[in-house]
Amino acid sequence: MENENRDFVTFRLSGQLCGIPVLSVHDVLSEQAITAVPLAPPAVAGVLNLRGRIVTAIDLRKRLGLEDQKENSENMSIVVEYEEEPYSLLIDSVGDVMSFPEESFERNPVTLDVCWQEVSGGIFRLEGELLVILDVEKLLNFERSQAVAA
Amino acid sequence: MDDLLNEFLTETAESIDEVDVELVTLEQDPTNKPILDNIFRLVHTIKGTCGFLGLPRLETVAHAGENVLGKYRDGELTVTSDSVTLILAALDRIKEILAALEATQQEPEGDDSDIISQLNVVASGGQLEVAAPAAEEAAIEMPEITQPATILPGQVSLEELEAAFAAAPGPDDEDDTEEEIQSESEQEDLLTRIGGVEAVKVIVHLFHNRLFADISVKGLMEGVNKRDSKDKMGNFFSACLAGKAESGPSISAAFEPFISHGMTEKQNETVRKLLQSVLEEVDLAPLDVDAVLVEYDDIAVNILEQARSKAKNKPSESDTKSAAGAKSGEKSIANQSIRVNVQVLEDLMTMVSELVLTRNQLMQLLRNSNDSEFSIPLQRLSQCTTELQEGVMKTRMQPVGNAWAKLPRIIRDLQLELNKKIDLQMLGADTELDRQVLEMIKDPLTHMVRNSADHGIEMPADRLAAGKKETGTIRLNAFHEGGHIIIEITDDGAGLPVEKLKAKALKNELATQEELDEMSDNQIQRFIFHAGFSTAEKVTAVSGRGVGMDVVRSNIEKIGGTVDLKSIEGKGTSFSIKIPLTLAIVSALIVKCREDRFAIPQISVLELVRASNDSEHSIEHINNTPVLRLRDRLLPLVRLEEILGLGAPEKDEDGNDITKQEDYIVITQVGTFTFGIVVDQVFDTEEIVVKPVAPILRDLQTFAGNTILGDGKVIMILDPNGIVNQISDKVSDSSGFGGEEGEIMPSGIINEREAILLFSAGQNRHRAVPLSLVARLEEIDVKDIESSDGKPVYQYRGRLMPLVNLDSSRKFKEEGRQPILVFADGDRTMGIAVDEIVDILEDKIDIELSSEIDGQVGTAVIDGNATEIIDVAYYIEKAFGTLGSSSTSGHTSTQNMPEILLIDDSKFFLNMIRPLLSAAGYKITAVDSAAAALALREKGNDFDIIVSDIEMPDMDGFSFAEEVRSGGIWQTTPMIALSSHHTPKDFARGREVGFDDYVVKLERDTLMTTIMDQINRKQNAA
Repeated sequence: MENENRDFVTFRLSGQLCGIPVLSVHDVLSEQAITAVPLAPPAVAGVLNLRGRIVTAIDLRKRLGLEDQKENSENMSIVVEYEEEPYSLLIDSVGDVMSFPEESFERNPVTLDVCWQEVSGGIFRLEGELLVILDVEKLLNFERSQAVAA
Repeated sequence: MDDLLNEFLTETAESIDEVDVELVTLEQDPTNKPILDNIFRLVHTIKGTCGFLGLPRLETVAHAGENVLGKYRDGELTVTSDSVTLILAALDRIKEILAALEATQQEPEGDDSDIISQLNVVASGGQLEVAAPAAEEAAIEMPEITQPATILPGQVSLEELEAAFAAAPGPDDEDDTEEEIQSESEQEDLLTRIGGVEAVKVIVHLFHNRLFADISVKGLMEGVNKRDSKDKMGNFFSACLAGKAESGPSISAAFEPFISHGMTEKQNETVRKLLQSVLEEVDLAPLDVDAVLVEYDDIAVNILEQARSKAKNKPSESDTKSAAGAKSGEKSIANQSIRVNVQVLEDLMTMVSELVLTRNQLMQLLRNSNDSEFSIPLQRLSQCTTELQEGVMKTRMQPVGNAWAKLPRIIRDLQLELNKKIDLQMLGADTELDRQVLEMIKDPLTHMVRNSADHGIEMPADRLAAGKKETGTIRLNAFHEGGHIIIEITDDGAGLPVEKLKAKALKNELATQEELDEMSDNQIQRFIFHAGFSTAEKVTAVSGRGVGMDVVRSNIEKIGGTVDLKSIEGKGTSFSIKIPLTLAIVSALIVKCREDRFAIPQISVLELVRASNDSEHSIEHINNTPVLRLRDRLLPLVRLEEILGLGAPEKDEDGNDITKQEDYIVITQVGTFTFGIVVDQVFDTEEIVVKPVAPILRDLQTFAGNTILGDGKVIMILDPNGIVNQISDKVSDSSGFGGEEGEIMPSGIINEREAILLFSAGQNRHRAVPLSLVARLEEIDVKDIESSDGKPVYQYRGRLMPLVNLDSSRKFKEEGRQPILVFADGDRTMGIAVDEIVDILEDKIDIELSSEIDGQVGTAVIDGNATEIIDVAYYIEKAFGTLGSSSTSGHTSTQNMPEILLIDDSKFFLNMIRPLLSAAGYKITAVDSAAAALALREKGNDFDIIVSDIEMPDMDGFSFAEEVRSGGIWQTTPMIALSSHHTPKDFARGREVGFDDYVVKLERDTLMTTIMDQINRKQNAA
C-alpha cells in the first residue's frame, strides 16, 4: 500500500468493513439482473449487462468463503477491472469513500484466515472497527487461488 | 517498421500473387495481350519501387525478369513453359527476399546471379532478327523508371543513344522490322506501326529538349533528373501509342514535376503545342497524334487540378507519389480503393456491434411502450443501424477467390513435379465472405487442394487405363446457401481407398475389426479426419507435411464450420466445407431452459421439432436415454438442463416435470453427427453479437461466448461443438461414427437392460423399481400432506393423490420435503413415499429370490447389492383400496371377464404386467415359455386373446405364432406380439406370422388399448 492515493471505497460484506482503492473502482451498481452461468465456478455469480459491456459478476461471499446469507443485503456491486476485463463484485452495502492516515495501517495478522490472507492488502485501524483492504488483482486471479474459491 | 517499406511489402506481395496467377494463365494462352501487359506492368512496378527504396538485389532480379517479359510483350519471344518456370522462379526469389526484408527490414545478402544469368540467356536466346544489338536492346528496354540504382550491364546513356539514333535510319526506313514484329505479335497497335520503342525514344528526346528550350514552360522542368524524366515520358508515350485504355501512376508520372511546379493553364497550352509539333514532326498520322493528345489532356486536367490544390512548398517525393496515385485513381476503377488498416475495420466492426446491441435494446423498449414519441426516430435509427452494419460488414468482405489466388500456381508446380495432368477449375471465386473467416480457411483449402492433386488425381497412364480422361480435374466451387458459404472441392481422382483406411485404422487402434466390419465405406473414409491419419504412404514434398486432415477439420470447426466428404473409390472425392459468413454477428436461435435463455448458433440448427405426448413426435426412452423418432430414424437426444448441470429434470415452477406436456427439440448438427437438444421453449431467431466470456469462464466448452439481447439481458451462447465433446463419452466419435448410417443409432438393437430407479425406504434397505413404471419423481412439502379417510393424500395437479408408505410402520417425515415416486395408471395417480432417491442405473433385473412378502416382487442383485424390487401393482391396489375392491367385487362374474394368455420368459415382466392387466379387469393366465403355452392348448384351454413375447429361448414368438396359426383351437384367437424391437421390419414379420398387433414392451397404455381393440374386434366378429 505504498501508492500515493489512500482513498478507499468502503463496503460491508457479512458485517465486515472492507475497502478497495478508489482508483480501481469503475462503478458502483445497485441491484442488477444477473444471468447465471451454468457450470461456472461457484464464485461466479453470473454475467450482467453494464451499458453494453458484459461484466462477470463475482460472488464475494463465496469467493471469501463466507456464509451465504443475503437478508440484510442491498445487493450492491462494485465494478472493477482486471486484465482489461470488467468484473462486478457483489457486496452487501456500499459506504463512503474514505481516506485513512498512514499510521493506522497494519499488515495482515498472521492468524488471519488463509482465504482472507490471500486477498487482503492490509488492515486499517479505525475507531471502533477494522477495515480490510481487498486487493483486486489477487481477488480476481482465479488461476492462482482456485483452491481458495470455495 | 518504416511506413513506406511496410506499404511496399504489402503492395508487392499482392502484385506478386497476381503475377503468379496471371503467368499461369498466360502460359495457357500466350497470345493474350492484356494479360501480358498486366504482368509486365506489375513486374515493372515492383522493379521501379525497389529502385526507389534502394533495394538493389530485388531490383536486379525483377529487372531480369522484366527483360524476358518485355520480349514477350514486344513479340520477340514466344511464351514457353520453360521460360515461364524461370520467371516464376525469379518471382519466388523475390518472395524470399521480401520475406527476409519483412523480418529484418534489411535486404538480405545473397547472390542472384544464377537466376539472372538464366533469365538473360532466355532473353537473349529469344532474340529474333531484330537489328539492334543485345546490349543496346537492354538499355533501350523501355520502362526503366529508376535509372540511378540500376546496375545492369550494358547500360547506355541516352546521349550516346541519341547520337546513334541520328546516324541510324529513321522510323520510316524500318519497315522490315516493323512488319516482322507485326506478323509475330499479331497485334496492330500504334506502337509497332510507328516503329516500336526506338521511335518512342525519339519522340521523348525531342519533346524533352523542347520543354527545356521553351522559356515559358522551362520552369516546370526545374530540378528534374533528365534521364529519369525521359524514362517516365517514354512510359507515357508508349502507353498512349500502344493504345492502352487504362493509365496508371507510371504513365502520368512523367508529368509529376508539373504539379509540384504549379502548372498554369497557359503553360499547359504551351506544353500541348510542343507535344503536338513533336508528334507531327516524327510523321505520326494525324489520328494518332490526336490519340496521344487526348491522353495528355486527360492527365493535364488532373495535373492542373492537383497543381492548384498543391501548397507552394515543394512536396516531398512520397507526397508526389501518393498524389499521382490519387490522381490516376479518378480514372481507373482498379485504383478506386484505398488501403485501410485492418485494425481500423476491426474497431469499426466492434463499434457497430455495440450499436446493434443498443439498437436492439431501444427497439425492445419501444415495443414495451405503447405510444411513444420516440417511435419514428427510433425506426429511422434502426434502419440506419442495419444499413451501417451491412456496410461495415461489406468492408470486411472479400471474395473467396483471394484464398484461391495461390492455387493455380500450386497446381501448375504440382503438375510438373508429379508428372500429372490436372485441370483446376474455380467457380464462384467472387463469392464474398468475412476476411477473418477467409484467413482461417486459406490454409485448410490449400491443403485440401494439394491433397487432391497429390493423392486424388492419378498418373495420366493410370487414368487412361481406368478409362478416364488423361487430365484430371479439381474443381473448386463456392456459393451461398442459407447464410452460409459452401465450398466444395471435387476431384475425379482415385477416391479414398477403403481397405487401406481400414488397415490404418486398425493399426492406429482407432477401431476394432468388428467395428470396422459394421461401418459403411463413408464412415471409414471419414477416418482421414483423425489425427495422424495420412494416407500417403510416403511423405512427399507435396503433402504429408505433418498437417493432416485433422488439422483441416479442427481449423474449420474452430470458425463454426463443418467439413464433410463423399468419396467413391475409383471415381473421385468431394469435400464440402460449410462456413458461416461472418463470425462477429451471427444469427442464433434463442431457447429457454428452466429460467434462463440461451442462444444456439443457427448454423448448427437443422430443424425444430415439437414433441408432446399427443403429437406426432414424442420423446421415447431406451434405458433412460431419451431418443426421438424422426422420419424413420432414431435420434439421440440430450437435455439441455442436464448438459448445463442443472440436475435431472424434476420440477419447474409450474409443477411440470419429467413428462412435460411439451418439449422442444432443436435438431443440431455438428460435423456429421446429428442429435437433438431438448429445451423447454423456443423463441425466435436473433442477430447476436458474439462476445467472448471472461477468462474465468473460458474453460467452459459448453459456451461459445455470450451476448446481450434486445431486452438488455445477457445470455450465454451454446457451442454445439462443445456440447458434443461433453457428451462424447456416449458417442465415441462424432465424425467417425456419424454420417448417413451412423448419425442415427441402429434402431433394431436395444439393450435388454433397463433403467432401474434405486431408492431407500424403511430401514434404508436397497429398493428398486423399473423406471419405466414410474411416471414422475416429485418432492412435496410434508406440510401439504393431508389426510382423507385416515389415509394420507396430496393435492397433485388438481386431484387428490393417495400416498403410500412402503412399510406400514414407516411414518412420513416430520417436516421438510418428502420425495415421492408417482405412479400413474390411467387417470389415477398414486405416490409412494420414499426416504431418498439414490440413483438411476441400467441393469438387468434378474429376480434371484422371489418374495412372499406383499408388495415385493423379489430380490435381485443390482449394482452389487441385494435389492428389493417393489411390486407396484400391489401398492396401486393398496392405494385405491376401494376401487380395488370394487373391481374385485366383479370376481363373481369371472366368466364374463376376458381371459388373456400371457407368455413371456421374463418372470419379472410377468409379475409386472399381470397385476396391471388384472386391475384392468382381465383374467390372466401367465406362462413363461411357448412350450408351456402350447401345453395349455393341448389341454383345451381357450382364451380371448394371447399376448406373447417375441424374444424367448427355445421357441421364439414368431415360431410360436406360426404354430398357433397352423391349426388347433387357438387358430383364430387374436394374438398380440410384445417386443422391445420396433422396427418396421419387425412389425411386418410379426404380421406375417399371424400376430394381429405388435406392441412395444414398455408402452403400457398402448398394450391396454390394443388388448381392448382386439377383444372388441373379436366380439364384433362373433
